[in-house]
Amino acid sequence: MSAERDPQTMTRRQLMRHSAWFGAAVGLAVVGGEVISQVAGAVGSAQAAAPPARPTLRFAQISDSHIGFTGTANANVVGTFKEAINQVNGLGYTPDFVIHTGDLTHLATPEQFDQVKQMMTGLNTPHIFTVPGEHDSTDDGGQKYRQAFGAGTRGDGWYSFDAAGVHIIALVNTLNLKKLGHLGTDQLDFIQKDVAPLSSDTPIIVFSHIPLFAMYPDWGWGTDDATQALSYLRRFSSVTCLNGHVHQLFTKTDGNITFHSGTTTAYPLPHPGDGPAPKPLTLPAGKLHDALGIREVSYTKGQQALALKEQTLS
Amino acid sequence: MSSTPANMMSSTPTNLVSSPAANRSARLAVRIGIGATLAISGVIHAYLYIHGYQYIPTIGTAFLVQASVFCALAVLVVAGGPAWVQWAGGVLSVAALIAFALSRTVGLSGFTEHGWEAPYGPVSVIAQVLTVVLVAAAVLKPRAVTRATR
Repeated sequence: MSAERDPQTMTRRQLMRHSAWFGAAVGLAVVGGEVISQVAGAVGSAQAAAPPARPTLRFAQISDSHIGFTGTANANVVGTFKEAINQVNGLGYTPDFVIHTGDLTHLATPEQFDQVKQMMTGLNTPHIFTVPGEHDSTDDGGQKYRQAFGAGTRGDGWYSFDAAGVHIIALVNTLNLKKLGHLGTDQLDFIQKDVAPLSSDTPIIVFSHIPLFAMYPDWGWGTDDATQALSYLRRFSSVTCLNGHVHQLFTKTDGNITFHSGTTTAYPLPHPGDGPAPKPLTLPAGKLHDALGIREVSYTKGQQALALKEQTLS
Repeated sequence: MSSTPANMMSSTPTNLVSSPAANRSARLAVRIGIGATLAISGVIHAYLYIHGYQYIPTIGTAFLVQASVFCALAVLVVAGGPAWVQWAGGVLSVAALIAFALSRTVGLSGFTEHGWEAPYGPVSVIAQVLTVVLVAAAVLKPRAVTRATR
């Protein structure tokens, strides 16, 4: 009988044996994944349950609302911004603050600033922080932006504050830009002096409109003097930089510094290098909301990394 | 035994030159080496997942899958699983190395990473390279020996 069997084929016994090994591989992988997830959850719970020396910090990021934009990419930016605000209000807790990382308006008109400011009063949070995008300073070096949102800021609108033991720095890199974002000497001096008295274990969060890393310099997605700014932050054990501008999620880690580009509430832009320029993308019907969203950020003392949770507009 | 595809799926590939005892020892050493390097890479990814990477979109899930699959394959290789378990480890190690290279250059699912501080990156890369080398040795050696004795 065996002489008639094609030597290229497997016997039933061999097939069963290999199937058993394959089943064992899948089963072990599933069990292993579950164990790792449980351990990760237990570590997180233990850290959360430990009596915190500093309270947990939770905040939300929204970005690039472009109030005033008209185009096929999103015919109703006001509507999607309202949805984003409602989504922040529906998080199930009151965020310690909400940050808007720029391009609040599309053309920086007084009416658009009034409208976006009015809309943001609907956010259920004790504090709202903003930085300007290049669309918020199209013709006046950010003067109208500062009139609307510049209270308590320094220089051209930069500032810092502390919350729950975390030091937060808001930077303006959309003024004096040529191709890339630019911070300038005054702001670099501010950063250096601002962080000088802090101990190296102070968690740092930096937010800006244009990325502080070279995400895609050909499209201006970077900041020409960010290296100098980041050099002042290298000694800190945890630095998290949040930005807008690129209308898409992107994460990069460089040593102790992690960069997170946020998405938009208005319209998507192409991925870096897709096409000649970052023009608004018109998505097929029903797909726009998947490209828009908000971000939740939380920090628990004892954890090195901030926890980020991305939400698309529902 | 001839080196048919069905036999190559066996956990005991044929070596027609050396003594059977020496062959068995060599195969066992290679198998343990593959299992150990797979386990090292898997455990490193599990550790990184638990300590921060779980929060990175897509990459966190990829780390969890990598860790669980590599650890599972490590156990099965050491337990004497068929040759395809070793191949799977080798192929997945190549994929992991490619993913690592992408994350250091053009980015992977929106994630890029720079810097070599901490031992995890280099150790994981070395372990995956060793896995590929050992799997290649385990797969190619029996074939070469078989050809030489024809």
